[in-house]
Amino acid sequence: MTLFLEQIVNGLVLGGIYALIAVGYTMVYGVIQLINFAHGEIFMFGAYFAFLCLAVLKFPLWLAVLASILLCALMGVVIDLIAYRPLRNAPRLSALITAIGISLILQNLARMIWGAEPRRDLANAKSAFLSQTVIIPGGAQLSYLDLSIIILAILLMVGLNRLISLTRIGKAMRACAQDKMAASLMGIDTNRVIGATFAIGSALGAVAGIMVGMRETIEPTMGYYKGVAAFAAAVLGGIGNITGAMLGGVVLGIAEVLGAGYISSGYRVAISYILMILVIVFRPAGLLGRASAKRA
Amino acid sequence: MISMSSILSSRSGLILFFLCLVPLATAYLDQGDYLLRICSTAYLYMLLALGLNVVTGFTGLLDLGYVGFYLIGGYTAGLLMARLGWSYWAALPVAAIHGGLWGLLRGAPTLRLTGDYFAIVTFGFSELLFRIVKNEEWLIGGPNGFVNDIPAPTLFGYELWQYWQQYYHILILLILTLLVVYRLHNSRIGRAWQAISQDEEAAQTMGINLHEYKSLAFAISAAIGAIGGAFFAQFQVNISAGVFEFWESILILCMIVLGGIGTLKGALIGAAILGSLGEVLRISLSWMRLPADSRYLIFGAILVMMMRFRPAGILRSTQKSP
Amino acid sequence: MKQQTLIETAPYRALCRLEIGHICSALRSSLVLLLIFSAAFLLTAQEAEAAKTIKVAVAGPFTGSVAAFGEMIKKGAQLRAKEINGNGGINSKELELIFEDDTGKDKEASLVATRIASNKKILAVVGHFNSSCSLAGKPIYKRNRIVELSPGSTNVNVCKGSDYTFRNLYRDDFQGSFSAKYIKGVLTDVKTVAVFFDNDDYGRGLRDSFKQSAEKAGLAIVADEAYDRDTTDYKAQLTKIKSASPDLIFIAGLYSQAGLILSQARESGITAQFFGADGVDSPKLLEIAGEAANGIYITTPFIFGLEGNEEAQRVAIAFEQEFGKAPDTWAALTYDAVGMIVEAIEKRGESRKAIRDHLGSLTSPEKGYQGITGLTYFDENGDCLKPAYVKQVVNGKFVAAKVQFLD
Repeated sequence: MTLFLEQIVNGLVLGGIYALIAVGYTMVYGVIQLINFAHGEIFMFGAYFAFLCLAVLKFPLWLAVLASILLCALMGVVIDLIAYRPLRNAPRLSALITAIGISLILQNLARMIWGAEPRRDLANAKSAFLSQTVIIPGGAQLSYLDLSIIILAILLMVGLNRLISLTRIGKAMRACAQDKMAASLMGIDTNRVIGATFAIGSALGAVAGIMVGMRETIEPTMGYYKGVAAFAAAVLGGIGNITGAMLGGVVLGIAEVLGAGYISSGYRVAISYILMILVIVFRPAGLLGRASAKRA
Repeated sequence: MISMSSILSSRSGLILFFLCLVPLATAYLDQGDYLLRICSTAYLYMLLALGLNVVTGFTGLLDLGYVGFYLIGGYTAGLLMARLGWSYWAALPVAAIHGGLWGLLRGAPTLRLTGDYFAIVTFGFSELLFRIVKNEEWLIGGPNGFVNDIPAPTLFGYELWQYWQQYYHILILLILTLLVVYRLHNSRIGRAWQAISQDEEAAQTMGINLHEYKSLAFAISAAIGAIGGAFFAQFQVNISAGVFEFWESILILCMIVLGGIGTLKGALIGAAILGSLGEVLRISLSWMRLPADSRYLIFGAILVMMMRFRPAGILRSTQKSP
Repeated sequence: MKQQTLIETAPYRALCRLEIGHICSALRSSLVLLLIFSAAFLLTAQEAEAAKTIKVAVAGPFTGSVAAFGEMIKKGAQLRAKEINGNGGINSKELELIFEDDTGKDKEASLVATRIASNKKILAVVGHFNSSCSLAGKPIYKRNRIVELSPGSTNVNVCKGSDYTFRNLYRDDFQGSFSAKYIKGVLTDVKTVAVFFDNDDYGRGLRDSFKQSAEKAGLAIVADEAYDRDTTDYKAQLTKIKSASPDLIFIAGLYSQAGLILSQARESGITAQFFGADGVDSPKLLEIAGEAANGIYITTPFIFGLEGNEEAQRVAIAFEQEFGKAPDTWAALTYDAVGMIVEAIEKRGESRKAIRDHLGSLTSPEKGYQGITGLTYFDENGDCLKPAYVKQVVNGKFVAAKVQFLD
């Protein structure tokens, strides 16, 4: 039983991380119908920026984290500004290719600047407190870091939900997602809203990047691996649906860990894909999307 | 039929003639083999680009998992030749048919899906194949999908492994594929595909059976990919899961977009450029004492630039892109 | 149906109508041709300039997740080349090393091998390092009849089936059984063992041989888990291993993953003894795992600083002077490998065949090559039998283990 509970906890941690990245994909897709390939790289830069602030600028940890989040939000906005906005009215494929190009550029930029070897700086920088383990009811043992990740992910998801449903900018985002033309007719500056969407998504991605950096390592390919899985999570929940992305992230995280623990270690990533395909073929809108697959 | 004289007198015929002479020219260089290898790789990519073009270019459906068929072809041929001792001449058509079948299978549940959903399924499909090959040792006989010692085709007792022989080998495959695709493009089938890519509902109203034509496109595209994979397996002597990563699909997609979606010429030129660019950049970069890794960055930059300033590709197409 | 030549197709006509498009297209085509010609030019230019050197390729993971190995290999080779060229070179020609990066992946290794093999000027290859890379290169080198001498691949099959593949260190079947015997003989409180292996040729091969020997020696294998080199989160498998409560965990993999595994294991509350093999042998392990690395035992083909090896001492000092850091096992093996190739060229001739014939003739201890890593001679496959040593991490540093279980 303890084993099972520990696996569930592992799954929740992974799920929290996936959820944070997945909302980035899904929000952008919701407003401009673009699969932002570069989002995984922003997640990766979140970790690297934090490392940079720590190692080179010698910031205290909390400042490095904050700086990284701001930098990534900025990065998201800038990428939209220079790469995606000029292609707003171009064929969909062009924007997709551009996203892929940006992803290539960012990944290799990171590799060139910081090298391909995994770095443990963030992991080493976390205080000893976070590495300590705690036993939760049920007998499972996990580190404070993992516990914080789960709690933080939940808080951020709730916060995001509040933002989307209660604030003006949230309403504007929902309007743009529904119908950009109508939204702009209603006086909403769609470009600003899209920029805000990128900023929020990127900021959350940065948080996830820092978490993964602390928990595991920082390397240039982390954006690709985690990003692809998070994308699968977004699809699972229903691409374009934010709550869906959160749910998808958690489901995928747990499925992956349970699959690795009980079925086979080699397939832990394949589980994402299998779920994704099954969902699309039998319920294309995902777990929480509309029942019919409309022409996207 | 296309008349021989019209081919030879056209510009393309002239290009073809010179391409056939390349091995003679490189025979005197110490690195001639290396040059032939680059050319062969470029031709392989041109073949693959033609295959992807059938689904994404002609029929207008974004295929993000083309590498899956490349994988199927490579492993079918590789396993048949390396483990069961089959001859390449038997393995190649089997690989093509196998690929085509999977094209149909993958297509079947997606016939009603549109746009992005189809793309996502293709992506998941190819990644799944990649994972299976990587993990199922009993199937592949080695970890990480590693199949080694794939022999080259033999003709009259000679193994055609030399680089100049491989060069003609892939050139012939490329020309045959080009002929097939060209004929399809300019036929009733090709026009049906074009109609589907522009507006599925209108096409249906005009009496085009969507499922039939889509399935045909899937099968042919997949078969071509599989042929490419089979060639690659014996060209590289071994294959492993790492060859068939997602980025390969994207690379081929970028080739046809670069050249101009929907056009044969565009696909060929895009593939020729990007297919050889990797090596050319690597050489030029080491010449300039820059790290070889930067070539991927330049790659990405080129893509972004292209899409920003010439989104419809180098050559413009009369077709609307998806 | 109207018959068309390719020129009369719609795209071409569309091009002609749009003047600018036509010009741009012509420019593009010329650009393509220009690129191709410049490539050809670069290649031929490179050749003309470098005709007076003897070229040997060194293939290894110079970038990628195991770049620390590659760095040591590169430096070991460079040091040897510097010494040789300082002594007048080979037959008064300069030795030129050509470094090819396989990033530790078999896919890259295939490309590198084709690249090397198709360059007729390269006479031999010192490499690859990772077993899967050497295996990937093997048939390509065999086809093109060029020697592949590996200073780091331990998988059992690397040299089999090819007259052109050799190595100057032991094999995994030996390493696996040695490890099992050492554990049984020296670490006597260990009764139950878990195996955690990298899912590639090296990891699998090592795990197979270790498992076999361990079971024969009477140790109980309580867990047998695989991991993918691309993942960085091992908690799922570690949780499973933890629930089996092993006394010792054997890691059959490479340092970058092993380091993570060590620290994640300690974080999960695992207190078992760790044991690793040559793949884990890198100073980077200590960086990645930090304190979690303390206490781990590692089997390795060579240790610097053992009694009686003055030549190794000299090389270590020269290495430190040249590069500012201490050499490791792999630098030493590469140093020897380059030396063997050079000796082959000097004794037999400057051709691929000569090198192959010379190495193929080193079949007994008398004819063997005496290098800093010991005496190297080959059996009929190209494998060599050399002893294994054991290291331990004590207070953040590698030291030779107190008991060297020399068979």
